[in-house]
Formats: sequence, C-alpha cells, structure tokens
Amino acid sequence: MEIHRNITDKLLVVGVWVTAIAVTCLFAWILSDILSNGLKNLSWTFLIESPHDAGRSGGIASVLVSTCLILIICLVVALPLGFGTAVLLAEYTSEDKLFGRIIRCNLDVLAGVPSIVFGLFGNAFFCIYLGMGFSILSGGLTLACMVLPILIRSTEAGFRSVSDDYRRAAAGLGMGRARTLVYILLPVAAPGLAVGIVLGIGRAIAETAALLFTSGYVDRMPGSVLDSGRSISIHIYDLSMNVPGGESNAYTTALVLVILLVVINWTSTWVTNRFSGGNLLY
Amino acid sequence: MKKIFILSLIIAMACVSAATIYWHEFASQSADSEKVVVTGSSTIAPLVSRIAKRYEETHPDVRIDVQTGGSSRGLADARTGSCDVGMISREATENEADLTWVTIAKDAVGLIVNTENTITTLADAEIVAIYTGEVTNWSEVGGADRPITVVNKAAGRATLKVFLDYFKIAPEEIRADIIIGDNQHGIKTVIGNPDAICYVSVGTAEYEVKRGTGIKLLDIGNIESSIAGVMSGAYPLSRPLNLVTRGIPSDTVLAFLEYCQSTAVHDLIREEYFVEVQ
Repeated sequence: MEIHRNITDKLLVVGVWVTAIAVTCLFAWILSDILSNGLKNLSWTFLIESPHDAGRSGGIASVLVSTCLILIICLVVALPLGFGTAVLLAEYTSEDKLFGRIIRCNLDVLAGVPSIVFGLFGNAFFCIYLGMGFSILSGGLTLACMVLPILIRSTEAGFRSVSDDYRRAAAGLGMGRARTLVYILLPVAAPGLAVGIVLGIGRAIAETAALLFTSGYVDRMPGSVLDSGRSISIHIYDLSMNVPGGESNAYTTALVLVILLVVINWTSTWVTNRFSGGNLLY
Repeated sequence: MKKIFILSLIIAMACVSAATIYWHEFASQSADSEKVVVTGSSTIAPLVSRIAKRYEETHPDVRIDVQTGGSSRGLADARTGSCDVGMISREATENEADLTWVTIAKDAVGLIVNTENTITTLADAEIVAIYTGEVTNWSEVGGADRPITVVNKAAGRATLKVFLDYFKIAPEEIRADIIIGDNQHGIKTVIGNPDAICYVSVGTAEYEVKRGTGIKLLDIGNIESSIAGVMSGAYPLSRPLNLVTRGIPSDTVLAFLEYCQSTAVHDLIREEYFVEVQ
C-alpha cells in the first residue's frame, strides 16, 4: 500500500515536470526561430524607416506609428468604459442580481466572438455607416469593442477579490463610496486591473482579422487618425503570405512585436508592484 | 507616490507634445489631396501598392489607399461604390459585365525540372497523374527509370491556386514529397534534386533558366512555357490580374488606371514575379 502510493506520487511529480518542460520548450522553440531569423535584420534604421518594395526592404516606422495610434485610441475609449462597467458590476450590483447576470452573460458571449466578426462589424458600422472609411480611428474603435469584455471581466474580478473587511472598515471610518473606491479598493485591486490591461493590449496589438477591414492595409505614414494605417500584425501577415521574398522582414517585424509585448508586460508588472503590495495611497 | 505622479506627468506631457509635433508635421500634408481607394485581391495588392507609391511621387496631390481582403471583396466594393477601383485576380464571368475590366499583368505558373531530366514536355493528364500520386516514376511518362520527387507549394500560395484551378485538382488529392514556400525555394529544390518537379512563377523561372542555374521549363501539352507565350495569351496556365471600375470613373482614377497599364511600371510587375501584358 505504502509503495503503491509512493509510485503514484512520483508519477504525478514526473508528469507535472514533463508538461511544464514541454510547454517551455515549445515557447523556446518559437522564440529561437523568430530570434535566429529576425535578429540579423534588426537595427535602428529598421525602426525609423518606412517600408519599401512592398515591405521587402526598408523598415517599419509607419507601421509602428499606425499600431501605436490604433492602440492609443483603443485604450482611450476602452479604459474608462471598461473601468466604469467593472465598478458597477463589482461594487453596485450583487453577484446574483438579474441585471448583473444579464451584463455578465453578454460580456462572456462577446469575449468569445471571433475577431473576424468584430472586423466585419467594425467595417459595416464605423467604416460604412458612420462614414469613417478605412481609418486608424475605425480600427481603434473596433479594437476597443473587442477588448472591452476582457478588460471588464478581469477588472471586475480584481475588485471582487478585495475582502469585504476593507469596505466595512472604510464605511466604519465614515469614508464615502467614491473615497473608498479611490483610496482603498483601487490600490488593492490594481493587479487585477493590470492583468486586464495587459491582456487587452496583448489581444489588440496581435490582432489581424479585425483590423484588415477597418484600419486597412496602407503602409504610408499616417497623416491623421482618419487615414488608413497598417498595423504590425497585418504587416507580418502580408509579408509572409502575399509578398514573395518578404519572409526575412516578416521575421524581424515579428521579433519587434514580441519585444513590444514583453516590454508592455514588464512595464505593467512594475507599475502594479509600485501601486499595490500593501502601499495604499496616503 | 509623488515619484509616480511626476513620472506619469512627464510621460503624459511627452506624449502630448509628440502628438502635437506629429500633427503639425504630417497632418497638413494630407489636407487637400484627392483620395483613390483600391480594394481586393491580396495577390495584386502588393504590386498596386508599389505602383501607387511611385505614382504618388510624381502626383503629390493624389493619395492612393490600397486595401486588401480578396478578389470577392474587390468585386463587392466596386459594385457598392465603397472603393474607386477593385482588384480581381481572375477572368471576368458573364454576369460581371456591369464593371469595366482592365488587365494590368498576368500571373503565370510553369512546371520546372532539373536540366539532367530528359523530359521536355508533359501533357495535362500526365501532370495530374504525377501530382495525385498515380505516376511515381519518370519512365512512366517517357523519362529515365527514376522515382519522381513531387514538390508542392504550401497552402495559401497564389501559384498553388492557379495550378489547382487549371488542373482541377482538389488540395487533398495532391501527394507531395516536399512542401515548399516561395518560388526561389522551389527553384533551389529542383536544382538540388535531379528527380524533382515543381511549379513556379514563369517570370522567375525564365530568369533562372537564362542564368543557367540548372533548371528548365517544361512545355505543357505542346505549348511553350515562356514569358512571350504568356504575353500573347497562348500559354494557358495563367490568370489575369485585373483592375475593375464601375460606371464612369473620375479623371484621377482614369489617370491612375492608365499609369498602371503603362510601361513605366513594367519593372515593378517583373519584380513582383508577374508578367506584363501587351
């Protein structure tokens, strides 16, 4: 009996290790592939030059600018909306009320909708109905619709994870709801918020299908947010699928994308650590 | 806490000033220019993007926005008027006569083998048999007694689509020994393997044949595979790259369409591995 249990325990340990190593190896393989093929072209000029010859030569400056503009619009629209909804769901409705359940159900369905559907919706609504055409603005707004569910749900989870003792203590000290939210709940829930923002940015920056029909394919330096601009993932997609001889620049662009994601991840972790970890405001 | 606040303030101010400078520098450029929107085939989009860039250099008052999304999208957008010019990489069908079609180039596919191979021509049926795995030895189609190495393109390649469409083979019927990516990859594979057969863009293949790199183009049926054959329209294994417009286009659009058909863009067409039309 004793021996039998020993074997089961050991098998479990081995199994857990094997899966963890397998996952790490897979990631390392992808990363080494991108690094080995992309690193040789990566240079400062690659980042500050615009694409030439359909992207085979030149850099990705205009693509980076378009991507940033799309991302800024997406966050400027999605963050206040997402934050407000999350506060409402977590603080002003109880978990089993019908109203909250309806909103949550809607959000969960929205979160599962494939991005191409958001792309077609964005094209029909922002580009054609609202007359924005293929533009960075319609791309950013479409992305905002797409990341809202993720943003709301993880922010809400962040607020819910805060123990009710905090709220009671704040109420006991005579703090109003707004003050409690800003000075007590927000710092404690910061990691949840950061996770939501990082997931949202990650999904937005890696998006291809939703942007192909909204922000478009033009690789010129955008003059305004009403111009069409190619996002970084669309550039990678186009170089690898439609442009013969574009592979090496596709790899380099993919490397830049990975670096961007890592930087965003680290920055948000750093900011979260500064904000939370028990350091309440004041 | 103060540090964070100051840091955020600096970042915010940097963003705002960068944005202001940016708008000041670039936003004025696009103020009073005429915009032409081109949408459609992802095969044609890189070519038209490059043509558009060159055209904008000499016509600073015109901006050409090239979008992609596939031939069907080009057709639909041209009809609804969401774009000025649609890009369609196939022949016009009967019920599409409401649009004006202009062929700017051709995308032709030729079969290549190693120069050591004694075969010079293959009939359509023989090519189908080789690619579906019914024929696996060169002796069965009149060559030496050696096994055939079938080289196929990866899914999504434009040449794959032209090849499958012409020979009416379903993608899952193909029995390939090697799957490759682009034309250069195919040519290198055939140079290194005397038993290989592969299909690549005729433009690229003829260039390599002239350089004497060790490949040759096979005739299909009795039709010679060459750029000249593609130009004259005698060579069957090709598809036209069309620009379509609906109704009477504006002068700007007409001027751009004329430019796309002019000899000034032939070098771009060749560089994208297509063949210009006469």
